[in-house]
Amino acid sequence: MIHWKIGTAALLSAALAAGSAAFLAATPLLAQETVKLELWSRQDPSGPLRPGNVVKAAERLNKELEAEGSPKRVEVTVRESPAKGFDDDALQLLKVFGIGEGPDMFIAAHEWICAFQEDGFVLKLDDYIAKYPQHFGTIFPSLWSSAKCPDGTYAIPQDAEARMFFYNKKLLREAGYDAAFVDAMPQRALAGDLTMDEVLEIAKQVVDKTKAQYGVLHRPNKGPDYIMVFQAYGNDFVDPATGKLLLERDKLAAAFGWFERGVKEKVIPANNTAMEFDALRKEFYTGNAAFWMYGIWDLGSVAFPTYGLPQDEKAFFADWGWITGPAPEKGGAPVSLTHPIVYAIAADTKEPELAVRLLGHASAVDLNTDHAVTTTHLGIKPEQLQDPRYAKAWPLAKATELLKITKFLPNNSQFGELNGIIFAGIQGIESGRLSAQQAADFVIEEASATLEDVTVK
Amino acid sequence: MTTIADELTIERRGHARSAARRRTNFVIFLGPAIILTVLFFVVPVIIDITVSFTDLSRSLRISEFTTEQYQKVFRTDRRLSQVIGLTFIYVFGTLAIFNVTFGLILAITTTAIRNVSGSFFRGVWLLPRMSPSVLYILLWLWAVSPTEAGLVNQVLMQAFGLDAPLDLLTSAPIALIIISNGFIGASMGMIIFTAAIRGIPEHLFHAAAVDGAGTLAQVRFITLPALRWPISFVTIYQTLSLLVSFEYILLLTRGGPFYDTTVYALYVYRRAFESGQYGYGAALALFLIVIGVVVALIGWRFFDMERLLQRPRIEVH
Repeated sequence: MIHWKIGTAALLSAALAAGSAAFLAATPLLAQETVKLELWSRQDPSGPLRPGNVVKAAERLNKELEAEGSPKRVEVTVRESPAKGFDDDALQLLKVFGIGEGPDMFIAAHEWICAFQEDGFVLKLDDYIAKYPQHFGTIFPSLWSSAKCPDGTYAIPQDAEARMFFYNKKLLREAGYDAAFVDAMPQRALAGDLTMDEVLEIAKQVVDKTKAQYGVLHRPNKGPDYIMVFQAYGNDFVDPATGKLLLERDKLAAAFGWFERGVKEKVIPANNTAMEFDALRKEFYTGNAAFWMYGIWDLGSVAFPTYGLPQDEKAFFADWGWITGPAPEKGGAPVSLTHPIVYAIAADTKEPELAVRLLGHASAVDLNTDHAVTTTHLGIKPEQLQDPRYAKAWPLAKATELLKITKFLPNNSQFGELNGIIFAGIQGIESGRLSAQQAADFVIEEASATLEDVTVK
Repeated sequence: MTTIADELTIERRGHARSAARRRTNFVIFLGPAIILTVLFFVVPVIIDITVSFTDLSRSLRISEFTTEQYQKVFRTDRRLSQVIGLTFIYVFGTLAIFNVTFGLILAITTTAIRNVSGSFFRGVWLLPRMSPSVLYILLWLWAVSPTEAGLVNQVLMQAFGLDAPLDLLTSAPIALIIISNGFIGASMGMIIFTAAIRGIPEHLFHAAAVDGAGTLAQVRFITLPALRWPISFVTIYQTLSLLVSFEYILLLTRGGPFYDTTVYALYVYRRAFESGQYGYGAALALFLIVIGVVVALIGWRFFDMERLLQRPRIEVH
């Protein structure tokens, strides 16, 4: 019996050994597992490399996985949303998550991240960020605050930028301001010497004394830039003690008052919010407006390629320039706004680790610099400043100066909705339907009726 | 030779067959209409009522059943009274000026002139309805563009010597949404009234002419009385249609400036889809459904629509 058993065991062992050898030989081919990760991204001509870098990062991650001997390989598919802006995109994506069809990763404007966190759609990243210092260790600490919700970090900063008032120096000179005055405006604004009302006054001179039709133009839809004006007048929108939305009637009325005076002086057009984005840009870049309230990336995305503004630094600053958001009164604090876009990972993704590593590779210095220099966005890591391409892109270096005073939009889950109400208030003022005080009342009434936990002062 | 029992059996079979045929006819003729009504009216209304009692918001999740949305409608929403007032002006203005009156004028004038010319002008007035909405509104946006390039401004500045271009989208948005909707709405009335005018026996006009009636008298005493029912139909149909449609307004003014052209249906859309307040949007939409049904019933009663749907009483030999 024993002999038989041994014989059988020997036979079985031999058969198993041979089978295992054959299996192991075939393993690398048979067991390779493709992990499909879906990335949600808005179709956005001002940042095609936001998803593009993630696709490129998959190659790097796959090489790394191969070197580790892992059988997994990552394949990225991009799901593009046609939303006009990041607000519409976030609302759409919240619905997509709500019906259980969410992607594995997504790109969003930072102020929306806590809305996703509140509904449990987004993955908390603190542990992963600590685990992969090679990917995330050097990202500017200030940028991380744009990715935080009350209980932790939920996103990875992808870029930053600076919002400002661009101005047409040629028109200002034509209106009678001497070159020294015009060139000193950026420094005066940074020092708090140039005021918001002086901007309206200069714009009025341009409208009255030159052929230019408009004084100050701003975006025609809901978005971040005009929030600069509100911040200049002291509106921070969030109570730092409680984290709840905060609306201060007097400060709101003061900010709306600036728009009201602008329209009254015929400096801001009454139909600014009815105009098309491209039409507004055209008016400014073709010399029909003195100021354009927007962001630094507009140079790389539109001004240089579409309207042929000089790409050489000296030539550009001869006729064009920008100032930070001025102080409300002399000696006050100027403002600038940065609006980071972030990468985030779905809470229910099957491969959170791989998604984190993938986005880590997408945040590599060279890839992020590709995005920064091609679309005039600010980088996320100090190493990028050493890159000759980054150094050569002078708008980035210049705009970085504004980061000293820059602020973020509040990371409150309801800020997106509040911003829609503020925009309606601006529209009401500019079209002559509301006074500044009525607009402040409207925002408070509407926000109190439709949003939760609003503190009113 | 058949017995009485056989005859009775045949008769019963006949009854059974005719009952079966009645059932079959019911299914064949009314079935599709019933299915469509259930699918596209009853089911959506039930869903709307259910959603209106929830807190469904931007991430399409329901955490509780609540009457909060109705409290908002009746207590906290201060925009509603303005929106309802505007909706009344929009519906009444478009109906009174264009869909009925202008449609009637078009029908009377195009049937009074030569047939070829009449058909041509009716064809021209049908063009807006045949154009895709987006294209139609793009033309409007060009026509009322606040620059010198806008069609209206070109005409006013070059022919009438206006100094600066007008911005009608800001200064007269309500008039613009009435006119742009009216140009489309008028064609439906025009077609129905034209068909009705053609149906009036021609000898009545000849007889009236012999009696010395002029054109206006013929219109007043022959045409208009014959158009009573078509006018009732167009009024009810277009009222309901204007109450619930907003695509031209959304494309032309986006409901603005501010809330100036946000009619009730657009307000529901803005609340639900622009602000993500689906529960509140559903509660608001329920009132629209109720108003629609009530308007239809009042119209049915007031305009005696039942008689319109009866057999024609004109004998044709």
